[in-house]
Amino acid sequence: MTAPAPTPAPTPAPVPLPAPMTAVSPLLTRLAAERATGALLRDRGTLFLEDGRIVHAESPATPGLDVLLTTGGGLAPERWREALDRAGARRQVARFLVDSGGLAGGELEICHLAAIFDAAFFALSPGSGPSRFRRGATHWIGSVRSVPAAAVERETRRRRELLDAVWPYPLLDTAPVVPRPAAPGQTVTPRQRLLLHHADGVRTPADLAWVLGRPAFHTLLDVRRLAAAGLVDTPHAAAPAPAAEPLPDWMTQAQSPDVALLRRLRDALEASL
Amino acid sequence: MPGIDECLLEAMALPGARGAALVDWSSGLALGTAGDSPVGDHETTAAETAELARAAAEYESFAPSEAEQISGGGTPSGPPVEDLIVTTRTGYHVLRFVETSFDSSVFLHLWLDRTEGNLALARHRLRSLAEGLVLR
Repeated sequence: MTAPAPTPAPTPAPVPLPAPMTAVSPLLTRLAAERATGALLRDRGTLFLEDGRIVHAESPATPGLDVLLTTGGGLAPERWREALDRAGARRQVARFLVDSGGLAGGELEICHLAAIFDAAFFALSPGSGPSRFRRGATHWIGSVRSVPAAAVERETRRRRELLDAVWPYPLLDTAPVVPRPAAPGQTVTPRQRLLLHHADGVRTPADLAWVLGRPAFHTLLDVRRLAAAGLVDTPHAAAPAPAAEPLPDWMTQAQSPDVALLRRLRDALEASL
Repeated sequence: MPGIDECLLEAMALPGARGAALVDWSSGLALGTAGDSPVGDHETTAAETAELARAAAEYESFAPSEAEQISGGGTPSGPPVEDLIVTTRTGYHVLRFVETSFDSSVFLHLWLDRTEGNLALARHRLRSLAEGLVLR
């Protein structure tokens, strides 16, 4: 007679992984943890990593460093092109710009950080599709400043919330901006005026970012602020087609009140008086 | 050629300095930080000081409208609003606007201890630090 098999020790229930906040991009989190170097490509932008930190980012949805730096006239476009020609192959465009006196070191850092967070906001947006990672890829801008991937993810999340806190209307991000007249006595600030001046009802917020030489997220945010102040029209979503389901005839064919019945009632009432 | 980190370190060398940051007032993003934050979180402080800076930088009473901004003529020298000072029971906050050659919206924030800090010195130093950031 065999002894009853000892009951197996109960296996511990799988502990759910702590997920206090959903990662903006799980792949980015993993690449940062393994201190990877390369380019993280997504539909709406690319993040460049070095030892797991973000060293550059670009997105077709945002004006690049060249636009940000040259639009205001601070850096001549020829100097930008010269830097690309002379230092692009060496991947030291940033250092060349500063060393050649085209740009102050602090200015470059400020503009570069603005560009990173701006492009990352769009690259990491929910609809940005699947990610691919090209290991070892670097960017020709060269080294400026790096930001921890976690900081970029945190800021991306904060920016999404900020937009909706100002004016929760995502359609404003893509619709052409149509200015509205200010109310009597309403303050329109110089920066707002500049934006409204270029808002012709055709340009979208993204187009305005290029014209103004400002980061795209800043333009989205300014447009939401303008909408909250009633200074631009909130676009109307195309109204859904009216429900075409036909109602039965007995509901739609208005029946004339039964005159004959009313007459009989009246006659009966009069007769009873 | 001072960068953001050197600039913040120099600000922290001022007597009574408790925290410093370079902040973008349009988005509320801290581009760089040093020392402590009054609320223990530089990101929150950046977002809050940005709101204050934005109001000062944009309201017409402080920053008169410049018609030439639209026509594009003339090079203004120095930011229209130079700095903001907030005095609290225990400290001073100095917000110094940084003018760059491109369209930006950044300022330096320095948090000083009320008893050890020297407000006049801090204002003077922040001005030169802000100018140093954009010096070629």
